[in-house]
Amino acid sequence: MPAGIPYEEARTRYQVGGQPRMRADDASVAELLRAWHPDHGAGARVALAVGVNRGEPCQPDLARHLQANALIDDVDIAGAQLTTTDVLVIGGGGGGCAAALTAAGEGARVILATKLRLGDSNTVMAEGGIQAAIGDDDSPQRHFEDTLRAGHFRGEPELVARMVMEGPDVIRWLIRLGMMFDQEEGQLMGGNLLRKKPGGATAARILSYRDYTGLEMMRVLREAVDLAPGIEVWNRCAAVELLSDERGRCAGAVLYNMEWRSFVLVRARAVVLATGGAGRLHLNAFPTSNHYGATADGLVLAYRLGARMRDLDSFQYHPTGIAHPPHLAGALISEAARSAGAKLLNGEGERFIDELQPRDVVASAILRECAQGRGIARDGQLGVLLDIPTLERENPGILAKRLVTVRHLAHKCGIDATQEPFLVYPTLHYQNGGAEVDVHGATAVPGLFCAGEVTGGIHGRNRLMGNALLDILSMGRRAGAKAASRDGAVPAIRAGIGHVHAWQRELTAAGLPLDARAPLLFPDYAHFDLQADAGLGSGAHARVVGGLR
Amino acid sequence: MLHLTIEGREVEARGGCSILQAYVQAGETLVEGVGCMGQGVCGSCRVMVRLSGEKEVRTALACETLVQEGMQVAFLDYFTEATRHTYDLEDIGDSWQVLRTITDVFPEAPHCRHCSGCDRACPKDLEVQRGVNLAVEGKLAEASHVFDECVMCNLCTLACPESIRPNHLGLFVRRIVASQALRPANLMLRLRQVENGEMTIDFDAPGARPPA
Repeated sequence: MPAGIPYEEARTRYQVGGQPRMRADDASVAELLRAWHPDHGAGARVALAVGVNRGEPCQPDLARHLQANALIDDVDIAGAQLTTTDVLVIGGGGGGCAAALTAAGEGARVILATKLRLGDSNTVMAEGGIQAAIGDDDSPQRHFEDTLRAGHFRGEPELVARMVMEGPDVIRWLIRLGMMFDQEEGQLMGGNLLRKKPGGATAARILSYRDYTGLEMMRVLREAVDLAPGIEVWNRCAAVELLSDERGRCAGAVLYNMEWRSFVLVRARAVVLATGGAGRLHLNAFPTSNHYGATADGLVLAYRLGARMRDLDSFQYHPTGIAHPPHLAGALISEAARSAGAKLLNGEGERFIDELQPRDVVASAILRECAQGRGIARDGQLGVLLDIPTLERENPGILAKRLVTVRHLAHKCGIDATQEPFLVYPTLHYQNGGAEVDVHGATAVPGLFCAGEVTGGIHGRNRLMGNALLDILSMGRRAGAKAASRDGAVPAIRAGIGHVHAWQRELTAAGLPLDARAPLLFPDYAHFDLQADAGLGSGAHARVVGGLR
Repeated sequence: MLHLTIEGREVEARGGCSILQAYVQAGETLVEGVGCMGQGVCGSCRVMVRLSGEKEVRTALACETLVQEGMQVAFLDYFTEATRHTYDLEDIGDSWQVLRTITDVFPEAPHCRHCSGCDRACPKDLEVQRGVNLAVEGKLAEASHVFDECVMCNLCTLACPESIRPNHLGLFVRRIVASQALRPANLMLRLRQVENGEMTIDFDAPGARPPA
């Protein structure tokens, strides 16, 4: 890691309420991204050697998982318990819940399987808010254009248009389910919802509940799913493989029940993958803001069954992850802080970027400061300052009222947020790409639907704050409804893992090893080995399973 | 290095790290009782903690609790309740009857013993018992705010001798307030405009295309 300016020295240049100057800079946004964003540069991508995206670029760490062998073979699931349902939803975050609630509302029998517990997801961790164009100075058209522009015009206009037009209805749906939103004034009926402006947008469009919107959303969705009579929730059941029929359709999934330590085959008319992204793979050795379960499982399983992917080399590094103290590295400071006016300062005490630029631009600017020696070094960590104390001085009470989690985070960091700025560094936050889907979340594989972060196409190559929560709910609802409909669904005569055998032949032909397996299910440091846990193969060399599992 | 006991195992840890981090850094398997891993919002990592030299055991979230010398930690399993309070928000017709609805769905709520077990169990220091009492009195807005920062860890439910399930009561009240009363003007207007066809997307607008 390059050297930085010692914290103590940088701290002498900082004062609460100071008016730092902006460092002169004539680099264009395109130059800044090309030179400093982790998606660019020599080691940023490799060509995939197998699968439908063969020859196309992919982030190298993710490619290893996409090109791995399956976790199981026929013999492992011989005699496994078998059950059937109409719709199998895999993933217990906001997207999975939206799909399950909608499918059940259409009369389908639904099983929602989740690796940890219902609600354990990135959704519950979302802080900033959800976008919906409801202001009188705003329109779905503006939302549409902002989303495309932030995504560098690489998003699918059809998908974006559906999402932005549904924004207001998604908010109504959430309110009907009992979710609260911040208001301009206290009146519940006839008041206005409070709107905030996200970086990269032309109007105030973020709707929120304090700065723990995801928590408010997820506890409502989880309760709704839990109490819905048509939905069975299977906690601690990880998807280890999809099931296919003789025509290559998706016919369900193989789940591993972590409590029984056994496999369960779920045959379903349709599967909705809402498994989230890849943050816990710590791509490019970055810290991450992501939930423990975000290990790209859905991407791996969908790709192996033949779903086409896109933008597998595009990730979002959120500008303001915690850099110090080290044990909180990667934890997120919500964009709500910059949205409210918090400034970024380098070790020279200068501002160096318009803080309300899109996330990839701001993150690149921070990486540049650090790489060029203007970052700040503290206990082996490098970063720049996020000036919350000045924000609080200029807006007394903002920490107590609007930035509650920022105050909590400062407490955990052992600093007084009214006096000390945070040391921040970009953190791996979001997978921009993923499975290609149509407006109903349908992939190219019949019977396989995807919703949320596991999909690509809406956010192009960079996502706006607040569009993730809207994406998971609008697409989750549509995928759930379509999966529940019986359009063209012919029940599979046989369901198995035949596609795995074809995949293994393809790996061998490409000279790839068969002993690398995926999905990972848990990050490396979880010390979990499915082969050992389930007693597969000889297992003799595997570690004795202990701890919390 | 600090020495502590987690799940009966002797663990060495550097100061300044959380219980969860200490556990995985010691090489133990961690695939349960973990979620957001530090943000303190998922409510998964429920633990009982006893500090060295103290008799009292308190409850906490392992991702937010830093290790201390001599600390003893035990994780609390999630359990599936035999009975639950089921309801359908759509069935709440007459909001004048909301007090009755609350006690119909949560019949134990008026039986609060004021033991404050829920307050002591709450890792977020919420005034849970007050929230329960406010809900029973019909002070819904005030009750709902008590549970603003609730992460649904269910520790208050574990602690309640009357099986009130206070966090679920709090969430129920919040959901009633939002679904029955929140009618934002700007949202309602925009919904009408969308439904009337006044708002459409122009795919060919100049701003929808990359700059030349």
